[in-house]
Amino acid sequence: MGHAFAPNPCQLDVTRSPSVAYTECVSELANVHRSFASAAEDHLDDVYRYLLYVTANPAIAEDLTSETFERAFKRWDRFDVKRGSAQTWLCQLARGAALDHFRAERRRTRREQRVAGPDRAAEVELPEEYGPVLRQALRTLTGAEREVIALRVVLELDTKMAARVLGISPTACTTRLNRALEKLEQKVRPRLVA
Amino acid sequence: MSPELIAALRDETPSAPENLRDRVALIAATPAAPSRTFTFRRALLWAVPATALGALTLAVVVGVITSSTPPSAPTAQPANEQPAAQNRGRPRAALNRVRPRAALNRVRPRAAQNGLRQFPPPLPAQEYRAIITAAPNGGPAPSRRRAQQVQASLRLLVDDPDDLSAATQRALRTTRRLGGYLVAVDYGTPEATEGSANVRVRVPVSRVQAAIVDFSNLGRILGQQTRITDLQQRLDALTRQLRRAKGDKVRTAILRRERIALNRRAAYATVDLALTTHEPEQKVVPPSRLERAVDDATGVLTAELAIAAYILIVASPFLVLLAAAFAGSRAYRRYADQRLLERT
Repeated sequence: MGHAFAPNPCQLDVTRSPSVAYTECVSELANVHRSFASAAEDHLDDVYRYLLYVTANPAIAEDLTSETFERAFKRWDRFDVKRGSAQTWLCQLARGAALDHFRAERRRTRREQRVAGPDRAAEVELPEEYGPVLRQALRTLTGAEREVIALRVVLELDTKMAARVLGISPTACTTRLNRALEKLEQKVRPRLVA
Repeated sequence: MSPELIAALRDETPSAPENLRDRVALIAATPAAPSRTFTFRRALLWAVPATALGALTLAVVVGVITSSTPPSAPTAQPANEQPAAQNRGRPRAALNRVRPRAALNRVRPRAAQNGLRQFPPPLPAQEYRAIITAAPNGGPAPSRRRAQQVQASLRLLVDDPDDLSAATQRALRTTRRLGGYLVAVDYGTPEATEGSANVRVRVPVSRVQAAIVDFSNLGRILGQQTRITDLQQRLDALTRQLRRAKGDKVRTAILRRERIALNRRAAYATVDLALTTHEPEQKVVPPSRLERAVDDATGVLTAELAIAAYILIVASPFLVLLAAAFAGSRAYRRYADQRLLERT
């Protein structure tokens, strides 16, 4: 998962000839570029799945995934592998993008409600890939509950990393996961039995 | 938590669609934007050492500039008041050797500085020279042909209170042996290791040289002063006045009394002997320019640190408030995010 990133390509070895140094710089730049591309390729599904769970809307999840990778591309030089894996970092960016989206959506909804009266909230539109039982059960969960399930169960992040993404303590993360799974199981079990 | 549910969650979660893959691949293929050269963390990383370097440079510059001004000249010590550090380890005889010319040159200014009576008209140079050559150890010697008032003082360092007691007793014995007498003595040992004695004796002028030589062997000489006041002129004047006042009994009696008193003053020399166990303070060596520069730079650095500490102390409540506000806003934001996700 994690990547060993090359040093800053601008730190050239001045003892070498300019042409060699230039070639190496270009090569390093390409490596950095390639490392982002490979990270994007490796973790695209993770980010999309995470956002799909958080937003419960494939279209919004796609947009936010795209936005997340744009942000990641711009901030790639700030990524420090010592502080966490690329997957964790991308999930943190994705969470920020999702929250920005929700805030903007809430403001928009409030404006519209002031003008046109109360309107129903955005529908939870989970994709067809989910079975009907699971899709129905996931609809009943809140975004926060779906988020912790996505991180811990779907992306299989450990508690520490998931807690870091959520900005809470590992204990709180475990509690939240247990509650979410319990709730989900309560919804799923009767239907499976039936 | 059933394994079937976990498996279903993992298996049924869809992968990213192809169009999204293309969009992300397009982002990754875009030429890299120039990375931000200025970030808060980077600025902080530079600001701290730059500030420290600036403060140090300022201190060095101020130190170098101020050190170029020479300090006020230290007070010159008398020629025969040698610092204890210089005297330590030398044989006592060598230490007691007084330079007559230096002592002679010092006599007049010292008397004038102390507010004492100025010398009468100075003696002819050849007479001074004769005095000096005649007294290699005991300071300037009085003239045998003229009536003079002689006052001498000696400051001596002894090792300990026992030595002090022995030296005092020996000084008294010497005085008696030379036909003199004790005027006053002030002896004290306020501490077990320290003490001092001030002895004032009068010895015949003809033996004052011997007395000074003897006294100087009692300890290490810290200071010596000899003052000779010529009385001969006044005696001669009195003699002339007496001749003129023949027949005037009252005036003759007054003049005779005065002449007798002058003769008494000329007959005995006063010697003040100060014995002490207290080591004199060492001569202050003026610091070199480098030392002054380092001292000044250290002073500037200390002042800068004091200012920084002052600012920190004054600003600390505001910093604490700022930190609390920052932490509070972060907590509130986290709480608001959580609420937002729970409503979604």
